[in-house]
Amino acid sequence: MTTTYSDASSTAVEEAITSTDPVTLSKVWGMGGMTAVLVGLVAGLLVSLERLDLESAGIFGSGDELFQFWSAHRVALVLLGVLPILVALGTTIVPKQCGANTLLFPRAAAFACWTWLIGAGMTVVGFLVDGGLGTPDGGGQRQATALTLMGILLVIGGLMVATMCILSTILSGRAAGMGLGDIGYLSWTTLVAGTIWLGMLPVLAANAVLAYVDLRGRPAVRFGAEDAIWEQLSWVFTHPAIYLLALPVLGIALDVISSATGSEPANRGVLLVATAAFGFLSFGAYAQSFFDTPGTPIMEEAIYVLAAFAIVPVALVVLGGVLDLLRRGGSDLGSRPPAPVVLSLIAVLLIVAGTVLGALRVVAPWDLLETSVTGAHFTLVVGAAVIGAVAGLSHWGEDLLGSPGFPGLMLLGGLAAALGVALIGAADAVSGFLGQADFTGVDLATAGYPDSGTGALNAVSTLGAAAFLIAGLIWMVAGVRHLAADPVGAG
Amino acid sequence: MADMTPTVPTRPRSLVVASAFGTGAVLAYFGGLFGIYFSIRADAMAWGTRWFPEGAIELAPGGMNMATMAVSAITMGWAVHSVMNDDRVHAYLAMAVTAVMGIAMVNQTAFYIADIGLPIDTSQATTLMFVIVGSHLVMVTVGVLWLGLLLLRSLGGQDTSRHRDLVSAAALYWYAVTAIYAVIWIGIYIAK
Repeated sequence: MTTTYSDASSTAVEEAITSTDPVTLSKVWGMGGMTAVLVGLVAGLLVSLERLDLESAGIFGSGDELFQFWSAHRVALVLLGVLPILVALGTTIVPKQCGANTLLFPRAAAFACWTWLIGAGMTVVGFLVDGGLGTPDGGGQRQATALTLMGILLVIGGLMVATMCILSTILSGRAAGMGLGDIGYLSWTTLVAGTIWLGMLPVLAANAVLAYVDLRGRPAVRFGAEDAIWEQLSWVFTHPAIYLLALPVLGIALDVISSATGSEPANRGVLLVATAAFGFLSFGAYAQSFFDTPGTPIMEEAIYVLAAFAIVPVALVVLGGVLDLLRRGGSDLGSRPPAPVVLSLIAVLLIVAGTVLGALRVVAPWDLLETSVTGAHFTLVVGAAVIGAVAGLSHWGEDLLGSPGFPGLMLLGGLAAALGVALIGAADAVSGFLGQADFTGVDLATAGYPDSGTGALNAVSTLGAAAFLIAGLIWMVAGVRHLAADPVGAG
Repeated sequence: MADMTPTVPTRPRSLVVASAFGTGAVLAYFGGLFGIYFSIRADAMAWGTRWFPEGAIELAPGGMNMATMAVSAITMGWAVHSVMNDDRVHAYLAMAVTAVMGIAMVNQTAFYIADIGLPIDTSQATTLMFVIVGSHLVMVTVGVLWLGLLLLRSLGGQDTSRHRDLVSAAALYWYAVTAIYAVIWIGIYIAK
């Protein structure tokens, strides 16, 4: 496979746009993803602040505006944030782990990167100009909603092509004699997760195309109705699809801790099977509640409930592998373990907590599916994915940028993020058990029980959102300083 | 952790692997659309609602298209076989015939859709049908363009038994195009 790198005499802008160098592409994916995480965290904090005072609607003028930011928070974190950061690691680190010369299909990888970036820009603009993915009361701008959908389609396209390049590299580009069981944990989990992404993202694209076609030009039949678009796409932001973001993070944790402790897991085969099972249990394209047959909601079907419970022991097996590594090689870490080790351990613990909450969420008698337990579950899993991805960026920072970066800042941000995620997760989970709705709207009636006593919990959750945002800012500062100090130039 | 020393990749057929992933993604896309289509159709049937207007969907055009696609799958196999045997004349012929059949299928579908005059916003059924059939037309068009590229490469002597991956990848894609149309034919044109 031909590898094309740009001319060394080109300007920085030309270099950035025309380069097919995986390191340069990783920078775009990584910084773009971190910026989107920051945007998502800002949206999350604003929504959280609004929820503190549901009687006066002090920040947003209407429930529709609040909904746009509420949905933007989830879209930004998942499609524009965590997935691209994982692609950044897959673009540079996975080929090295597989003993490949470089990423296969570098031009396609560059095309995917810029398609994603343009799509991400369109998506963000779509949300900001009163579009987004529909609104409950139909108060958004149809053209802006169409723009958002088109942006989402480009984002999906970019992510899929990039994933194809990474997976092809793992399967076809790895070194001779290296079996799939011998590759690094990040590569293995990326292979599993990427395969499932390629099964789920096209289904999301099908939903978006259907909504887009129905939205354009005439009154919508059903799929493009303003109040129906989000519900068609929301399956990708909840159980079980959301776990797929966490899978490569499990691989990162195993690689990071194995590398830091200098020991290999005793039960590698079990961990490979467990992570594969984690991936297959995360396939969520079937869980589209919008198309429920009356009387048989998919979220109460056996497969949905079973997947929620089955993933808990699988996550515990991986946690066991991580703890085994620490038990056998923890003494080598000293009194101040490296930042990536701490962050990846926190990420795994949060993933396990997320799977436990996900299992509690589907217990039918508690009726939690529409409550803020869903939001708490999202925050725990996606928060873990963000922290784990940052652990990966920190651990492989030297491979990406030629210098180790600023592990102290990364650790500080990680601890703030862990605090924020824990506060949001705990507070929203308890609020959910008290009856608070996942999307509260701007009045007490929409929010759930008017006298449920969730005010103090919402304040705690808001503090968590602020801590998470501060973490994002710290990481951004660390990332920018790391890029500025890049001794190998633009890659 | 695995050895991170870069070595020269020795595994061939990366194009076929990438194409398999791409084709799988396309199948997942149509799987999503078919899942929605059959789910809503089953609900409508259960309630005794008419799915398509009476006489709107005819069997003959769909059947003709299915026959065209089925034959094109055979000619695609002929193209792969010819390239593997370095039989350039037959390779040209097979690729050209396959591409022409793809164009004929697009033409037939476009004519039929215009002929029935069924507005896209008539019902959920028509919206879904247009999205599914339209997406498939896009897929066929991509396949025809790919075949055109292959034909040009063949004319330049670049598709040989030693460099047949692009032909194999295109064939994989084309078989998926045909398989998806089989589902459209049965699910939309026959079952209505």
